[in-house]
Amino acid sequence: MSQAELLSAAVGGVQPVRAPRLGGLMVFAVGVVGVMLALAVLGPIIAPFNPTQSAFSTYIPPPTPAALPHLLWQSLSGRGGAIHWFGTDGSGFDVFSRVISAPRVDLVIAVLANGFALLLGVPLGLVAGYFRNPATEILMRVSDVVQSFPVFISAMILVALAGQSMVNLIIALAVLYAPIYVRLTRAEVMSQKARGMVEASRAIGIGEWEIAVRHVLPNSLGPTLVQSSVTIGFAILLTAGLSFVGAGVRPPAAEWGLMIATGANDMVLGEWWPSVFPGIAISLTVFSFAVLGDALERHYRS
Amino acid sequence: MVIRFVLRRLGISLLQLMGLVVAVFFLIRLLPADPVARLVGMNASPAAYAQAAHSLGLDQPLLTQFLRYVGLAHGSKGLLQGNLGTSWVTNTPVLTEIGQMLPVTIQLLTLSFVVTLLIAVPVGIASARRPGGWVDKIVFVYGLFGGSQPEFWWGLLFVFVFFFKLGIAPAPLGLVDPMLSPSPPITGFIIIDSVLWGEFGILADVLYHLMLPVLTLVFILSGPIMKMVRQNMIRALQSDFILYAQAGGLSIRTITRYAFRVALAPSITLVGILYGVMLGGAVLVESVFSLGGIGQYAVRSVLAFDYPAIEGVVLVITALSLLIYLLLDILYAAIDPRVAHP
Repeated sequence: MSQAELLSAAVGGVQPVRAPRLGGLMVFAVGVVGVMLALAVLGPIIAPFNPTQSAFSTYIPPPTPAALPHLLWQSLSGRGGAIHWFGTDGSGFDVFSRVISAPRVDLVIAVLANGFALLLGVPLGLVAGYFRNPATEILMRVSDVVQSFPVFISAMILVALAGQSMVNLIIALAVLYAPIYVRLTRAEVMSQKARGMVEASRAIGIGEWEIAVRHVLPNSLGPTLVQSSVTIGFAILLTAGLSFVGAGVRPPAAEWGLMIATGANDMVLGEWWPSVFPGIAISLTVFSFAVLGDALERHYRS
Repeated sequence: MVIRFVLRRLGISLLQLMGLVVAVFFLIRLLPADPVARLVGMNASPAAYAQAAHSLGLDQPLLTQFLRYVGLAHGSKGLLQGNLGTSWVTNTPVLTEIGQMLPVTIQLLTLSFVVTLLIAVPVGIASARRPGGWVDKIVFVYGLFGGSQPEFWWGLLFVFVFFFKLGIAPAPLGLVDPMLSPSPPITGFIIIDSVLWGEFGILADVLYHLMLPVLTLVFILSGPIMKMVRQNMIRALQSDFILYAQAGGLSIRTITRYAFRVALAPSITLVGILYGVMLGGAVLVESVFSLGGIGQYAVRSVLAFDYPAIEGVVLVITALSLLIYLLLDILYAAIDPRVAHP
């Protein structure tokens, strides 16, 4: 749900309420994010089948739980051919290989989009917060207009009209997420600017720009760091959603949203595995990023 | 003073909308898409291509196109005359099409929000009563979980379970059974219309078809709303007058009621914001269940490069959400005078 970030941005200003301790959940979230980041590097390499090449046997169901121990033993002892752990889809692609290869697309898009949004938003926010003048006031109004765009539809327009590619997806998401960082950084810079250290720096003759970049900026990055984890999660959801309606990456790329979309019709007819496994992957990944973001926020506040 | 505050807010919203109109108009024309080619096909002769471009007005300079769209050019009917243009694909006025699609989305969202609030508010209150208790732990995890889920996947999952496996839900193929023929729309909201015509069979059928889409949205929306009610309730319960009420020996029930009244105002604001955001965010659920709402209209227009329709959808959705925010601000200013007198 790409809209909850607005909600979290809206809640951001008020005092936090103590949240229950959930250490185990935190370990789980770090584990999932770690595995997904590792798969973003290794996924396509360790996949047992080529994720974008058909095995020519469609709709092979995944092995039943009862058959799993036997199959595991077989594959560990190196006998028999490679197994379709998650079955194959309507085009004969191996679902397991595609699920573990997809982080190379989904996570790379999300992390890079967030990175570029930071690169764009943080400097603008710093300038807008530190130097308050008509020019920065206009900057904030422009940022308001961008933020009032309906996120999903705007992303769809940008990507579809610019051409459906990973690069365009990254640019579109970065542009749409940048205003959050402008706003967060600006608010934080404004409160940091009132601190004694700024006054002291001025007194010993440090230039305004140097104060802004070397002293105020490092102290203002906390909220952006917290938001990054949340934004990466939502960027994954948005990427998958765009591919689901046909406005994201193009088939046969291994991407979770696209896999769910191609399996959608099969699901109604009872072939659940092409859609269910990539869905579990998205569900766990985005949830884990949300848990991490929450933990970071608590750490930062205390 | 409240009137001055409202007028100022209205002015800001209008400026924001104008900025949006300009931004969207030029943005979609500056992106490297070729709507003419998409419309006439790749193998069209150069003459047919030029003619199509001419009939769409795309051979004119950008500024002329813009003035025509806004309605400032000589003899043109544009935005200022309340005309959103004509769809290039269907040749129907965009406003008419949006008028048919928008009620579907509003109906879906309103129903989902009502159900969500009925569930999420009591649960949020219960979890706020004992922070750190087991109810609170579950609500907290669910709050993070529900708010970070791919709703289209859950929709499909519900279809698989309730339609394919259990057979108690309809196929995800629209809002009304195609065998039924509802009377012509009065308000456009099929639930209200069916009641007005006295066609309760159709009402039942629509609710039957909305069962799974609403379930999907409730599942997603409950997370953030529970989390928010919990937060606002805990904050309210920490205030001094509650301590006083406790010292005065009032019952837990009464104290909860007092605290809830305080927690209500910030909660309403956030629910309103969420509603505005969901106007454009319900796309995926609409697509899964083929409901034919404004989100699906947006998808269709974008994929067909139908510029007037794209501009119309973005404008209408943004205008509606700005209107909701404005109403919330007015409501807030009416409740809390500190807002209007900063």
